[in-house]
Amino acid sequence: MDKSKKSLIVLEIILIIVVAVFLYPIFLVLINSLKSFKGVMTNVIALPDSLHFENYTYVWKNINYPRLFLNNVIVTVTAILGIVGFCSIAGFMLSRTRSRLSWLLYIFCIAPMLIPFQTIMITLIKFLKIINLPNNVWGLGSLYWGFAAPTAIFMYHGFVKNVPQEIDESAIVDGASTLRMFFSIIFPLLKPVTSTIVIIDVMWIWNDFLLPLIFLDGAKETKTLTLAAYTFIGQYVTDWQYTMTAIVLAVVPSILFFIFMQKHIVKGVTAGAVKG
Amino acid sequence: MFAIRKGVSKFKFLIYVLPVIALISLIIYIPFFMSMAYSFTEWNGISREAKFIGFENFKNIFVSDSSFQSSAVFTLKYAVLFIIIINVLALLLAVMLDKKLYSTNILRAGFFIPYILSLVIVGFIWRFIFMQGFSALEKITGWNVFSWSWLGDVKLAFWSILIVSIWQSIGLYIVIYIAGLQSIPYELIEASIVDGAGSIKRFFKVTFPLLMPSITTCVFLSLTNSIKVFDVIVSLTGGGPGGATVSITYDIYKEAFQNNFYGYGTAKALLLFLAILVITLVQVTFFKSKEVEM
Repeated sequence: MDKSKKSLIVLEIILIIVVAVFLYPIFLVLINSLKSFKGVMTNVIALPDSLHFENYTYVWKNINYPRLFLNNVIVTVTAILGIVGFCSIAGFMLSRTRSRLSWLLYIFCIAPMLIPFQTIMITLIKFLKIINLPNNVWGLGSLYWGFAAPTAIFMYHGFVKNVPQEIDESAIVDGASTLRMFFSIIFPLLKPVTSTIVIIDVMWIWNDFLLPLIFLDGAKETKTLTLAAYTFIGQYVTDWQYTMTAIVLAVVPSILFFIFMQKHIVKGVTAGAVKG
Repeated sequence: MFAIRKGVSKFKFLIYVLPVIALISLIIYIPFFMSMAYSFTEWNGISREAKFIGFENFKNIFVSDSSFQSSAVFTLKYAVLFIIIINVLALLLAVMLDKKLYSTNILRAGFFIPYILSLVIVGFIWRFIFMQGFSALEKITGWNVFSWSWLGDVKLAFWSILIVSIWQSIGLYIVIYIAGLQSIPYELIEASIVDGAGSIKRFFKVTFPLLMPSITTCVFLSLTNSIKVFDVIVSLTGGGPGGATVSITYDIYKEAFQNNFYGYGTAKALLLFLAILVITLVQVTFFKSKEVEM
């Protein structure tokens, strides 16, 4: 008993050291974002001797941080509202209707899970030019409706099977219209799967890089946070104090999101991985 | 009367399904079929007309395209090592983190944090660490590893990308394995203890087989993610040195959006789809057959 307790304590100490080393790069970025250029060049590891917050004011203004943050919120919220709105009811209907047609449509919806984005990205851009989808943040957000739909339909479809059918039947007898019945009675019951989909898609869309890179027109006002950080760092390659600051500014929202939603995030990605 | 009502409800679901059908068709299927068509053409993306050239693109890819071949080799090597290393490491850490430790939650969160960061940003973080951080660490420790040219040497750049990708996503795999470990009923573990199995034997004979569903999931995830590796390369090495770390997806991106060989790029993109399709189907059938009933 004593021996196994001792080995647990040893294991715990080892793991704490491993995690500290594991996260050390992030710590280095943080301390160097507060140094002057000279401070970074003389010693990367040392703590800053004075705090250079002017790095932050400089980068904040240069990349127009509030605008970028707003852009990311617009893209993500537009995307999520559409994904959940369209896919929850479609997944429900496809799951409840037992006909050949419904099954074929379901397969049609989920088959694109096998198509990698890179396979269609070139012609997608051409096609979007033809149909004139505005290449701004709103257009970008709506593109995710299509890209996220296969997985979302798949997950809703599977989840609805476990919702007893008597519930919607009784609602129809009560005279509720289908849409009202769905959003007032069924949708609340789908909360576990909805939150899984929201968590996974927020993490993906917020951080996505390739689609914004090839779709957005490159103007400053329409960039996303990741894309702007990418361009900024490309311009200031060796001004390490600025690139570190841009990195910190780009990741702070994700870290805050993680701190407040940690339990949901871990649950969400696990459930999503196992079902998807 | 009854028949009409039944007929109506039979198709009524379509109203709610059609928007999704339309979205998926517009955003995925139409570009997908366009890709198929354009892969048989010579098309620079600027001129209106794409010239039909039959299987010429595909022939060129296999016969004379050394950048495609090296990117395919890079991607395969990367994918195999990524899948093996990340799954072994994550499983090992999950087993340790599943024990009753005081700081379990903080430790798990610590491993998970990089996963919530964008891969492009992660690439930049590590570019700084490799270029500036390592030289400072070398001064302190005197260790040779820190003086190696991690981004400038062909072989080391490959490992840099591998290490950084694993660093970013290992938290996800750890979390999935922990969930898998916790779903194993304790009675089964207890029974094997009573039967006198040692802890290593117990792991391989009891825990491991019951963990097969999690392993299937994780191998599948690591496979699809590693074969499409892109973001981290863009910001960490930019494909260098000398094109040594260009992956298939990066090669397709360069072909289309930098060299303007759109038709040629779509042909490569289509091959990527076929490769992923075949590998995924083989992998899923293989691992599903290994799962045991509980």
